[in-house]
Amino acid sequence: MKRNSFDHWSRLLATAAMSLILTFGAVRSTHAGISDAVKYAKLPNGLQVLVLENHKAPVATLNVFFHVGSRNEQVGKTGLSHLLEHLMFRGTKKYGPEEFSNIIQENGGEDNAFTTEDYTDYFEVINRDHLDVPIALESDRMANFAPQGFDSEKNVVMEERRLRTEDNPEDALQEMTQAAAFVEHPYHWPVIGWMHDVAGLTLDDAMTYHSIHYSPRNAIVVAVGDFDGDKVMKQISDAFGGIPNGAVAQPMTEVEPPQDGERHVTVRHAANLPAFAEGFHTPNYQNNDAYALEVAGEILGDGKSSRLYKDLVIEKQMVVESGVQYQMTSFDPNLLWISGQMRPGIKAEDALAEVDRQLEELRTKPVSAEELQKAKNLEQAGFVFGQDSVFEQAMQLGLYQMLGNYRMVDQYLANIDKVTAEDVQRVAKKYLVAANRTVGILVPTGVLPHEAGGGASGQVHHQDMIGETL
Amino acid sequence: MIRNRFLLVVLSFTALLAILPRHAAALEIKRSQLSNGAILLVSEQHQLPMISLAISFDAGARRDPHGKAGLAALTADALEQGTKDLSADEFNKKTDFMGSSVGVETDHDYASATMTSLKKYEDETLHMLAQILVNPGLRDADIARKKADQIAGINAEQEQPGYVAQVAFLKQLFGDGPYGHPINGVTETVTTLTPDDVRNFYRDHYKTGGAVIAVTGDVKEDEIKAKLEKELAGLSGTVSPQAEPPQPTVAAGIHLDVIDRTVAQANLILGSGGIARSNPDYYKLQVMNYILGGGGFASRLMKVVRSKGGLAYGVSSGFQAWKFPGAFLVVLQTKNKSANDAVKMILEQLHEIQDKPVSDDELNAAKRFLVGSFPLKIDRQSQITGFMLGIELNNLGLDFADRYPKLIDAVTAADVQEVARKYIHPEALNVIAVTNQAEAKVAAASFAPNVH
Repeated sequence: MKRNSFDHWSRLLATAAMSLILTFGAVRSTHAGISDAVKYAKLPNGLQVLVLENHKAPVATLNVFFHVGSRNEQVGKTGLSHLLEHLMFRGTKKYGPEEFSNIIQENGGEDNAFTTEDYTDYFEVINRDHLDVPIALESDRMANFAPQGFDSEKNVVMEERRLRTEDNPEDALQEMTQAAAFVEHPYHWPVIGWMHDVAGLTLDDAMTYHSIHYSPRNAIVVAVGDFDGDKVMKQISDAFGGIPNGAVAQPMTEVEPPQDGERHVTVRHAANLPAFAEGFHTPNYQNNDAYALEVAGEILGDGKSSRLYKDLVIEKQMVVESGVQYQMTSFDPNLLWISGQMRPGIKAEDALAEVDRQLEELRTKPVSAEELQKAKNLEQAGFVFGQDSVFEQAMQLGLYQMLGNYRMVDQYLANIDKVTAEDVQRVAKKYLVAANRTVGILVPTGVLPHEAGGGASGQVHHQDMIGETL
Repeated sequence: MIRNRFLLVVLSFTALLAILPRHAAALEIKRSQLSNGAILLVSEQHQLPMISLAISFDAGARRDPHGKAGLAALTADALEQGTKDLSADEFNKKTDFMGSSVGVETDHDYASATMTSLKKYEDETLHMLAQILVNPGLRDADIARKKADQIAGINAEQEQPGYVAQVAFLKQLFGDGPYGHPINGVTETVTTLTPDDVRNFYRDHYKTGGAVIAVTGDVKEDEIKAKLEKELAGLSGTVSPQAEPPQPTVAAGIHLDVIDRTVAQANLILGSGGIARSNPDYYKLQVMNYILGGGGFASRLMKVVRSKGGLAYGVSSGFQAWKFPGAFLVVLQTKNKSANDAVKMILEQLHEIQDKPVSDDELNAAKRFLVGSFPLKIDRQSQITGFMLGIELNNLGLDFADRYPKLIDAVTAADVQEVARKYIHPEALNVIAVTNQAEAKVAAASFAPNVH
């Protein structure tokens, strides 16, 4: 799912951590939890700081979250949040383009950033002895943003869109299905933006956007690692405390009207295999049904013994893989996605009918005690495995603080444990129904030029050029 | 749902970098041998109630018999389908119920049986992992199903232009050699695989002589060793040696293969023969490649092609430093119309790093990153497990962590230039271009750089 648009140079670390977060949706804790050990401060300029000592390995991470994503954009200016994220690496009054990353790397660190529908996160993971370096650089680009090479970076973003969406049938399908599922709310458009909008964005757009949304009152700085927490809290407060705020952001007020009636989307795309992606409108963490939906998603799609995997992949062999994703921590109510890519000779409609049968089962029969416990165990194990990474701990704290309170981290597992078989059945009946969904189907048009009505050339040309005078 | 191809490409390059601990003492690796011949490395990490374990067998895709590309991968997948006593369904239910993951993965060189579990499920999870190795089901119906899965997966991959380019690149460089095919094979070969092929491959390659076991987590070394002795008692023997293939070489000239597809971007791979991990020039090449194209935004290729040119989201270079010599390759994606220009820029950089010594600033930045960043590569249990497999399989020694900074620090600008000249061959390159050729018009004659 394209909830996140990774930029800069995507790294192992970020990839692994994000996939865990997306899979498990939220954070849980076994006992006392991690939030008791967190030091929290709100600086006079409104910037919030969370610091957590973790002495597992000699590393530290700094995350800077801004409470702005594609949901804050305007029609015609989509993709601005993400383009701004790119531009943040293109220099300040003090440093030239890409110097940020070069300095981090010279200090044995790695840096990256990503933009979602809801927020933007910049992060570094670095040797514990050098955390002062990203603290100085991050506060500098919050205060002294002055990017160079705007047009070139815009071209890079357009290349990124070609890579992620134009040449990726599943992403293209998801984008159009989501656009149909949301008619009013800004979740209608993709995080990376529509190509034509991106092409029209200006440096002035980005500077204005930065001055409003990258104000200290809109930011949360999170540090986790093998350090003295009081010392790091002081370093962060000193570096960020003097940054002034810009104009106040206009509140995002759009509310998606209720859907009552199934919507259908067809996308023709260069591909060999059909695919489907269906999205059901669901509440988010603000609604108690969220925990039951999380468990329902787990039962349908997590693990090789999950219902959809067992039915569609193992037994009926209709799809290559099945996917279920519930977006519990979305800032506004979002979608629960079910998706699959067909095997050769299978029609997307037939696989969808099989998914319907499974949803009907979930709506009409309570899940067994064992299946319910399995889902809860998977979540608990996932939580413990997630604690193995300072980066993921920082992500979880920052995300929950943006949602309202980092202490929610420690309440999650208890809420999951309260979910009953009746709850799962109830939310399936309420949300996982045809009238509440948008169904997208990918119609493959082939990948060879002649199939798509392009040039008449064959597939492979071999051109040798021996003895060239290079 | 969506797997990002680009991220996978980056992963493969990340794996090329050595991953080393600065604070080796913190890992406190203990090495011993089991009575079945397997080498055991243990790093006790008691901060979290979990365990990460991996067993590496000489059963990777380079062991695929001629004409049976994809057999190693199919065997690994088939092993995951339960035991003589547990059906695939029962096996999946039991592991999912514990929240454990148990599986067998394949890369070009090795197959790894892995598990991750909570401490409270350590014994049961280990038993299940051991049973699929010692007492696997390998039933005809399960093998047939996994074969169908593998063919379906290959079909799906064919839609990814980056994958198509990689397959073509391997074929062109390595031909019928051990690295000449993708790990999952190709449809034509996988179609011919039989259940007996799988059972024979398992019998011949899942042997404990030469196998390496790495365990990280909330364990005691003597206790986990005793458990492994008991659980893996049914395995023995040694895999027959494999003849080293000839060094992959490319004849003089630019050898361009264009694969015409309806794509918005040209997916390009340029490359030639590289090195084995055992090559003593490995460390000099690490520094050189970081400066050339391995160092993200610090690399010359990113600076020229992305930061200045705006022509690509990602471009990188790397050496596949495998058991036998792998490839040197540069990978990028750019809109069709920019393909010729981007390749020209890359060729200029390949010449540049051969023609002029790198600056002291670049050299020092590369060394500082390579030495300074390795704590980041082992801050998770699974990473420590992978690190331990690496040092044992590559005979690096338990003191490797201490030696590594010295190996990197010793590299000079002259060394960088020397290995650039020795291992990069801009005058003898294979180029794979998956493009919409009506727009891209990729042609070797367009690449001639202006550098000389």
